[in-house]
Order: sequence, then C-alpha cells, then structure tokens
Amino acid sequence: MAPKKSLVKSIDKHTLILLGLSVLIVITMGVHRPKFLGSANLQSMLVQLPEYGILAFGMMIAMISGGIDLSLVGIANLSGIIAAVVMLGLGGTPFGITLGVLGALSGGVLCGAFNGVLLGYVKIPAMLVTLSGLQVFSGLSLIITKGPAITGLPEAFSKIANATFVGVIPYSAFVFVLIVIVLSYLMNQTVFGRKLYLMGTNRVAASFTGINILKTTITAYILSGILGSTAGILMASHYNSAKSDYGSSYTLLTLLIAVLGGVDPNGGDGKVQGVFFSIIVLQLVSSAFNILRINAFIKTFAWGLILILVLTAINIPKIIREQKKG
Amino acid sequence: MNAKIKQKLLSNEAIVVYIILLLALIIGAVNPTFISPATGINLLRTMLVTLIFALSEMIVIVSGGIDVSFPAVSCLTMIATIKFLLATGIDSVPITYGIGILIGATFGALNAFLITIIKIPPLIATLGVSSLTSGATLAFLGTKIYTDLPEKIDTMHRISIFSYTNPAGNEYSMTALILIPAILCVLIHLMLRHTMIGRGMYAIGGDIQAAHVVGFNVAKTRFFTYILSGILAGTGAITYMILMRVADPKVLMGEEMMVIAAVVIGGTRITGGHGTVIGTILGVALLALVKNNLIILGVPTHFQTFVVGMIIVFGTSITSIRAKRIAEQAKI
Repeated sequence: MAPKKSLVKSIDKHTLILLGLSVLIVITMGVHRPKFLGSANLQSMLVQLPEYGILAFGMMIAMISGGIDLSLVGIANLSGIIAAVVMLGLGGTPFGITLGVLGALSGGVLCGAFNGVLLGYVKIPAMLVTLSGLQVFSGLSLIITKGPAITGLPEAFSKIANATFVGVIPYSAFVFVLIVIVLSYLMNQTVFGRKLYLMGTNRVAASFTGINILKTTITAYILSGILGSTAGILMASHYNSAKSDYGSSYTLLTLLIAVLGGVDPNGGDGKVQGVFFSIIVLQLVSSAFNILRINAFIKTFAWGLILILVLTAINIPKIIREQKKG
Repeated sequence: MNAKIKQKLLSNEAIVVYIILLLALIIGAVNPTFISPATGINLLRTMLVTLIFALSEMIVIVSGGIDVSFPAVSCLTMIATIKFLLATGIDSVPITYGIGILIGATFGALNAFLITIIKIPPLIATLGVSSLTSGATLAFLGTKIYTDLPEKIDTMHRISIFSYTNPAGNEYSMTALILIPAILCVLIHLMLRHTMIGRGMYAIGGDIQAAHVVGFNVAKTRFFTYILSGILAGTGAITYMILMRVADPKVLMGEEMMVIAAVVIGGTRITGGHGTVIGTILGVALLALVKNNLIILGVPTHFQTFVVGMIIVFGTSITSIRAKRIAEQAKI
C-alpha cells in the first residue's frame, strides 16, 4: 500500500487537472454513449493501455534525463520478433515461452545500451541517436522477418494480453500496474532517480557533483529499452504475431502522453503519477473517438494538435513572465 | 600552404568523396556496365528531389534546429495543389509551383512561430506539425492517389537537356527538372557564404547568445530560415509530383530519415553552426549510390533499412568524435 499512500499525499495541481479531465470524459461519454462504460469497451481499453503506456514511461525516462527516445517503437517490434522467433524455434513449451520473453528483454537491454553508448560516450545528440536507432532496429527486424509478420505464436503466450482475470482485467494490465509501482519507487526513492533528475536539469552541474554522467545515461536508456521490449512482448501477445512496423503511430502518442503528463521536453522535470494519469486521459479520448466512429486520420490530426496546444498552454505563462522581467 | 592542402584532403567533404569513389570502384568491379553515362543519369534522377529536401533540411540544421515535418507538408502540398488545379482547370507549371511555394512557406512560418515565439523544442514542434498535417491531409483532403495530372504538368518531365543511348539501344534522357536543384544549390550556397542572413544562420546555430550579442536578430533569422525551408519543401513536393507524374497523400512519409541522414553524412553538424551545400550534395549522392546499387552488391533489399541506419550511425560518429577531439584540443 506504500506507493498508493505516497501517490495520494503528493497529488499536485497538474495531476488534479488530468484527473478532472478523465472524470469529465467518463461522465460525458457515459451519458451519451452508455456503451462506453460497457465491459467490452473497458476490456479493450485495458488491453491497449499497457502497450503504449509502458512505451510512454520509456519516453518519460529519456526525457527526464535530458534526451528523447524515438527508437522505442523500433525496440518494441524487434523484441516482439525476437520473442516470436525463439518461441517458434523451441516450440510452445513453457520453457520456450520463458526463454522467448527473456530473449526479448535482453534485446531491449542491448538496444538501450546501443543508444546509451552512442549518446553518452560518442556524444551524438539524443534525437539523432534514437532516430538512427529506430532505423537500425527496424532494419534488424526486417532482416529477421524479410517483411511479413511472424504468426502462429503459442496459445499460452497470446493469453498474456488476451485472457482475462475474473472476466474483465487482462493480465497485461497487471504488468502495467507492476511497472508503475516499480518506476515510482525508482524515480522517487532511489539514488538513481535523484541522479537522473539532476542530470536532466543541468548536466554540467551534475558532473561536478560527482555523478557519473556516462553510467547514468547508459542506465537510463537501458531502462527505457527494457520498457520498450516489455511493450513489444505485450503487443506480440495481443496481436498473436510480430512484425517490423506495428504501432508506428505510437511515437507521437508517447511523446504527447509524456508532455501532457508534465514531463519537461528540456529535461529534469516530470513525475510518474503525472504520466500515469496522462495515459488514462489519452486512452479515454482514444476510446471515445472509436465509439463515436471518428476516422483514424482525424485521430492523428488531433494528437498533433493537442501536443502543440498543450505545449503552448504550458509555455505562454513562462513567456509572459520572462517579458515582464525585461 | 602544405597544411592547408592537408586540411582539405582530410575534410569531411573529402572523406565522403573517397567513400563514393571506393564504392563506385567496388560496384564497377562487380558489374562493369556500372561505369557508363546511364548510371550518372539514373543517379541524378534519384538525387533530384532528395537534394531539394536536403537543402531545406540543411539550412534548418545549420541554424540549430531540425525539421521532421517536411514529408507531411510536402504530401499536403501535392494533394492540395492537384485538387486546386483539377477544380479550377488551370494548367500552368509556374502557377503550380507558386501554390506549392505558398503552402510550404505557410507551414514554414507555423514551425517558426511555434519554435521562436512559443519556444517549443524544434523536434517536438515539427513532430506535432507533422502529425497534424498528415492527419489533416488524409482526413480532410482524402486518401485518393491522383495520376490524372493536367496535361502541361504531366508532360513537363519529358523536356530533357541531353540524352544517351547505350549500345543495347536503351535511351536514357536527363530531365530538365535537374536544373531546379542545381540552381537552388548555387543560390543557397551564395546565400550561406556571402549574405548577412546566411552568416546569421551559422551564427545562431553555433551559439545563440553570442549571435544575439553580436547583433543578429535571432527571431528574424529563424523565421527566414524556416520559411525558406518551407518554400524549398514546397518546391520539392511539386517537383516530385511532376517527375513521378503522381500526387500521393502518403508517399513521402518517412523520407525525413533519408534526408537527415544525407545532410549529416555531408558534414552538417546536427548541433548547428556547421554545414555546406557541397557536403550536402555529396551526402545525397552517397546515399543515392547505396540505394541504387545494394542489389548489384548482392545485398538483399530487406537489408536496406539496416544498412542506411548503420551508415548514419557511422557518419554521425565520425563527425561527433572529430568535434569531441577539437573541443578537447582547444585548451590554450
């Protein structure tokens, strides 16, 4: 119960706004479209939410560290493919599935280390590293699959996202909750979390206080990579297949979630609880769009518009303050 | 003098030239028919549109920004322009370019506004604009691919400046459209080298505070850069439409990766303040060469994404390690 208690205690204005927004959407949609609160819709929300929710946490960590991770979707797909290949190679035994999942996670670690080393040691800017990382990881996925999706994954594996606990809650939702708890501990209670915030706020000052910038950067991106591959495993389980270009719209969505959740694009600021509620708000909006049968392209349009509007709303008070100062 | 020659021979541009020559030699050894005017014509044709986009991206990166929205803006430009032409029955190449340039400039101004006035980081601002624009194109202008272009625009690509017939009797002709990137390269080169606004782009890309202190108008320079970049993107979009004789609302999406790669390989530093037109031309040429000849070298097409990714990683690593060394040396 410890994380929940600290969550309630440290609730801030930003989170309150997000919470209010979610309640507003639920009530409006619930009144106009009762289907919105039906168990079918709730279940489909709970299946989708962990996939990009976990990716969004990966983005959050990279952004707090002062960078960005545009390669997350690439890591997710590559991990899904590694898991699929290993599982199909070893047959659908529990041993094969475990090994597949472990293989996928180590893939995520390697991808994250690749990003982290290029960033921290070779000193290429995060944006360029992860953009080329995306290209390299998708390229590897294409080499393995030669294009088409890998299908026919073991049934037990597809149950992670598709089977439910007491009829409504998919098992992937538990994975998500576990990650939220671990991350809020990691970011708020550990030395690593403190180092990450400090490094994102001011890299030079952080290095003068004795923080090993290279090590912290690599750790942050490995963590982001692990989250990417966890999302990839859930995606593969959900679709019961793995492909090199699933979820290509998730990059902008995760960025939007992070920014809406109060993560500063310039680094050093952002909370797990903010991102958590931001994930919920966006899932509600997305589901509302689906139920109202709004065209998927309008969704793309809306995500871009919301991203720009949110950042404008956040930045305008700062600009006015600066102008007053002189 | 000697040191100067040595510096030239080890410059970024020179290294790209060596790699291009080496690659050409290898491809030529594997496939002797490679060394022919036909290859040159094919290569220039592949480079044509990418080069225009690369110029648009290069000036933005030089000024310390980044633009990932140009593929979406270009797709919108193509579809909006063709819809306008078909609806009004206008069939004129200059008007087509005029509309393209206008749309490009508008989105350039939007990017500049978000980055300069609202102070959103360039990558995030242009990602947002990209999503917004792409979504708007597909949702409001439709997903239709247009191949029924007005006649003058449809036949424009046939005007050629020279042609070559190989011994087998195949004719290769160089379209006059190549003059567009050629002229733009010269103009941008002159602007970057010899005008105050061009020098201003390097100045704000190198150190924004210093540029401000020296007296450059940072906001004005940024607006000029992004609007010019938008104009170039619009020009690229119309040129693509004329060259390929098609207007497709999605075809250029994802192109930003290749273009940024070409610009960075050409020696433009992603952190701003450094970059030349010649380097950009060489970067585009290198990637076009790789793209056109992977199959000849025995690399299957599904390796292409990975190979391009690794080229970017190595290209940027070299530039970055050099910059790191220079930074470590300069402690007088």
